Amino acid sequence: MHELGAEIARDYAGREPVLVASLKASVVFVADLSRAIPIVHALDFVELAGYGSAGMGGHQQIRVLKDLDLDVRGRDVVLVEDVVDTGLTLHYLVRTLELRRPASVAAVTLLDRPYRRLVDDLPVRYVGFVVPDELFVGYGFDVDERYRELPDLHLLNL
Amino acid sequence: MELELPVFRAYRGTEPPRFASPAELECAKVLDYYDVPWQYEPRTFVLEEDAEGRVTEAFTPDFYLPEQDLYVEITAMKQSLVTRKNRKLRKLRERYPDVRIKLFYRRDLERLAQHFRLDLAS
Repeated sequence: MHELGAEIARDYAGREPVLVASLKASVVFVADLSRAIPIVHALDFVELAGYGSAGMGGHQQIRVLKDLDLDVRGRDVVLVEDVVDTGLTLHYLVRTLELRRPASVAAVTLLDRPYRRLVDDLPVRYVGFVVPDELFVGYGFDVDERYRELPDLHLLNL
Repeated sequence: MELELPVFRAYRGTEPPRFASPAELECAKVLDYYDVPWQYEPRTFVLEEDAEGRVTEAFTPDFYLPEQDLYVEITAMKQSLVTRKNRKLRKLRERYPDVRIKLFYRRDLERLAQHFRLDLAS
């Protein structure tokens, strides 16, 4: 965490970036990451409806459940993800944010599975761990909203 | 069995797609959901020809993502049954080294299903 924080602080020194965390799984990560970045930065959250979430009905299209509170025009945005897998969610977020004309958009992810990418042109600049194709719970990661509260990451054996 | 199709927004093909399996349909829905342009089986790659130039082996990947310039082959088959498909992909990569293709295995689909809560039971 300290390595990621120091790297981000070095790259954004004097620029006051906005950390934008996507709810919900990245909440614990961004709480720790924010405290590990020793420069002034803002914090905001966005939440997208997951594919197949209850009550969407009919043919589905991604939608924003919680939008940003901050105006990111001209700001340096660092998207904070729990995991980048196929890249579909991050790809959508980046395209949506770029419509708001930020100065730059980069992403930091706690876990990365680059071998599962369907979308490659992603600004993933900071990676915590490249992980095998296993499921994790704890540290914000859930299965049906359970186990987020576990303080550490655990491998889920199904 | 004919699969019931929704109206796709990100589909970039000309003919309505005719999916071979529910897994293909669900993957199409995921791509559409995230507004990633996709085509279904737009190109067949010749893998082998006989001495007269007749095609003896060919391969048609399930999806093509034009913005990514990436072909995606979906297989819901068990791991033990994908050897033949793997061999075809190896041949394709040898013969068309500039073509980018990814094979999504059954376990990949299961992970995707867990992540996106899809129904891949059938």
